Amino acid sequence: MVSIGRYIRNIQRSGIRKWMRDMMYIGDAKYGKCVGQDQFGNKYYENLDPADEVPGRHRWVDYAQHEYNATQVPAEWHAWVHHIRNRPPPEDTVMQNLSPPWKGPWVENLTGTRGAYKPYNTTAAKINPWEPKTIPRGSA
Amino acid sequence: MPASVFRSAAVVNASRRAVSRPQLGINVARAIHSTSAQSAQPEIPSSTTSASMPITQLAKQGSNQLSLETPRNGMEYVLSTVDKVVNWARQGSMWPMTFGLACCAVEMMHMATSRYDQDRLGVVFRASPRQSDIMIVAGTLTNKMAPALRKVYDQMPEPRWVISMGSCANGGGYYHYSYSVVRGCDRIVPVDIYVPGCPPTAEALLYGMLQLQRKMRRNRKSVLWYRK
Repeated sequence: MVSIGRYIRNIQRSGIRKWMRDMMYIGDAKYGKCVGQDQFGNKYYENLDPADEVPGRHRWVDYAQHEYNATQVPAEWHAWVHHIRNRPPPEDTVMQNLSPPWKGPWVENLTGTRGAYKPYNTTAAKINPWEPKTIPRGSA
Repeated sequence: MPASVFRSAAVVNASRRAVSRPQLGINVARAIHSTSAQSAQPEIPSSTTSASMPITQLAKQGSNQLSLETPRNGMEYVLSTVDKVVNWARQGSMWPMTFGLACCAVEMMHMATSRYDQDRLGVVFRASPRQSDIMIVAGTLTNKMAPALRKVYDQMPEPRWVISMGSCANGGGYYHYSYSVVRGCDRIVPVDIYVPGCPPTAEALLYGMLQLQRKMRRNRKSVLWYRK
């Protein structure tokens, strides 16, 4: 449960630096066991104690980047954070064995950059630059 | 005669190749066949795990946006900070004008309710176009509704953004070949974010709002003004 006691307890347990970081990025003083880290450096936490965290808020991610967004979580860890898989990917032997060899590297959403996905398109453009056509005087 | 034919064919082929070749630096690694000189520009990887130089930064290399985000002198430091403050204020209270036209509007309402709770992001529906900064076009835009949509858009104050929600608003969708439907609301108003889906989930729309926040954060209008 969220309470002032939990808040102070979590500051004491996680330390001032971690608390300030959490308040900056998560907006709450959270404390939990770090269950792993993905290839991008995002850290994943879990706290199953109902006295600390309301069920549903017991798994969370601490993003590595300042400009964070949810697509920075790779598919394996997404499955863990959203309770699709019970165990985190480093311990999940089933997922490790079933991981296909042709799986590509994870790339976050690149919208707004030059890497944004633009599909091949053959339809006529909706917006065209204005091409002024002048009719010579007297001919019209 | 044959030489000129070959030459023109070569020119045509070169232009075709130029069209089919991705101009995006990030896709260079994926290009299968290309004859242009790429050795001049450094190879940009298509994926990275570096936290200090993430893929979004790599993908911005050489762009005007990165140039604007990199201050050149003291004045630009100040102005880009001003821009960031303005962006922060804007993205913290996005008031969408609800333009619910069809079933997508129901999902738009779901975004407002307790599960996805748009209010935590400062997103509050506003029924008046004069006091809103975003318009969510949710649903099929018919020919009959199009003038009303444009009027509502024109009534909104600057800066304004448009989110096109669902297949019908994106490009006509299921009703693309209907005689009475606009084939995409971007024929009427300029669209910032397209949310795909039929209808998109409330989660997808909320993700679209977050992408719009990203777009707002890219704004460097005062730096642009200063450089001009």
